[in-house]
Amino acid sequence: MGPPGRRRSSGRAGGGVPPVQAERILRLGGRSYGPQQRLVMAIVNRTPDSFYDRGATWEETAAMERVHEVVGEGADIVDIGGVPAAPGAEVTVAEEIRRTVPFVAAVRAAYPDLVISVDTWRHQVARELCAAGADLVNDTWGGWDERLPEVAAEYGAGLVCSHAGGLPPRTRPYRVEYDDVMADVLERTLALADRAITRGVDPSRVLIDPAHDFGKNTWHSLAVTRRLDEMVAAGWPVLVSLSHKDFIGEALNAGRDERLVGTLATTAVCAWLGARVFRAHQVTQTRQVLDMVSAIRGERPPARAVRGLA
Amino acid sequence: MGVRGDGSLQGITAAICPPAPLLARELTGLDPVIPELRRACAAAAERLVKTGPEVIAVVGLGRRTAVWPADGRLDLAAFGPALGTRGGSVPGGSVPGGSVPGGSVPGGPPLPLPLGLGARLLDDVGYSGPRLLQSVHSGEPAAACLRLGAGLRTISDRVGLLVMADGSACRSLRAPGYLDPRAAAFDAVIADAVRSGDLAPLQAMDSDLARELLVASRPGWQVLAGAMPGRAPSTEVLYEADPFGVFYLVAWLAGE
Repeated sequence: MGPPGRRRSSGRAGGGVPPVQAERILRLGGRSYGPQQRLVMAIVNRTPDSFYDRGATWEETAAMERVHEVVGEGADIVDIGGVPAAPGAEVTVAEEIRRTVPFVAAVRAAYPDLVISVDTWRHQVARELCAAGADLVNDTWGGWDERLPEVAAEYGAGLVCSHAGGLPPRTRPYRVEYDDVMADVLERTLALADRAITRGVDPSRVLIDPAHDFGKNTWHSLAVTRRLDEMVAAGWPVLVSLSHKDFIGEALNAGRDERLVGTLATTAVCAWLGARVFRAHQVTQTRQVLDMVSAIRGERPPARAVRGLA
Repeated sequence: MGVRGDGSLQGITAAICPPAPLLARELTGLDPVIPELRRACAAAAERLVKTGPEVIAVVGLGRRTAVWPADGRLDLAAFGPALGTRGGSVPGGSVPGGSVPGGSVPGGPPLPLPLGLGARLLDDVGYSGPRLLQSVHSGEPAAACLRLGAGLRTISDRVGLLVMADGSACRSLRAPGYLDPRAAAFDAVIADAVRSGDLAPLQAMDSDLARELLVASRPGWQVLAGAMPGRAPSTEVLYEADPFGVFYLVAWLAGE
């Protein structure tokens, strides 16, 4: 892993004008979402060793149970991955395919209309997954594999364009520095979004993600959270993946099992600042936070208001 | 100290401290995290200053090999956007414990982090004498590093060298670079060289392996080796540990 390099950019490079965006519709699978709809993307790991669930859904039956559960809880999207973000034992392309492709096919068969996202950075894997029915390619490693967009385009799938600061997949940040972290986030994600639509991805299916913790120390992740409105202003729908991450643990001195409150607080802030998709482990709680933010913003009426009204 | 008959030391004294961002107290938040490392660095800097050098040269990694203005300052904005002059500020306040609240002060230009940390170490022990701030690019070949070190050795009769360098970042599963089984042996070469005072093994440090083990400080070690080609008769290791999977060594080396 080489140092990702300190960025001197002033951001907003790439000329990425989101073409949608008069109405700012986000399309996923056969569905369309307006800018005031806040979506929960439920995490389903087909890994024996992911940091938070520790392999709870490694078995296919457990993973399918998890899908049933999150759909029942109101998840808008399921995000299926076969490789943990942390470094560790290599997961080959063939093994990643073995872990995820039959499972995605099974989920598609069980839920013909469910939006299925797949968490992979490899185009070979993404191709098999899209053929099996995936609607969205969630590339958390910042466009490391240049051929990913063409696969998404070929299958009419969406693409998440994220910021990993140039780090290779499955590596940790080490003394990473940015002159201006949000400028770097914007420069890289907007360039990736540009690349995606140039390669034929439907612009209404492109999202951008600051990728908290990826290529970032805690101060950096807090800064991109604080300044998320700048990312929203770029025009692309913003996805955030916050759930139980280290920046929350470090902010609160909270261990792996003590980060839910911090996660939900951060979720609320990001929702308030305009993020639209929230990748999460706890669907019910996340849904409730998002509904509450929508209610405060006046974009969703209260579920039932009688107080003082009788 | 003094020039020895064999010319091996020429009155050079060196301190070694890791260029870890978390040496800056502001960056670790409310928790000091490793005060013992900071204390060891302060002690090493203090001993360096007490030898009465005519000039102290600080050596550390930078984006280019260059001498920086002596009034250059530590700038933490690139690591903690809330702490510096760029990228906004933390509403409501400062982080306790930093000797430079907010991470930047008026003065010279912002320095590469290793030099900024070294400059602060000198400030904190009250050193106000001449200083030379020398950054070295990560790709600087060994021969150039050795030459640079040899040159620093001759800038004065009594030179103090503060080398901001550390070892691999691959010593555990939780390490920034994950566990690499080659890391321990690599770091042991560094530790043995410093402990024995015989820095010759550092001259031949494998730059490819260093890169794979995230030893960004490789040039700094070779500048040190170039500055102290003979055996240092007196060395002391003040701190040696890898609490985050990164090999930190704080030490002091001197002639007689």
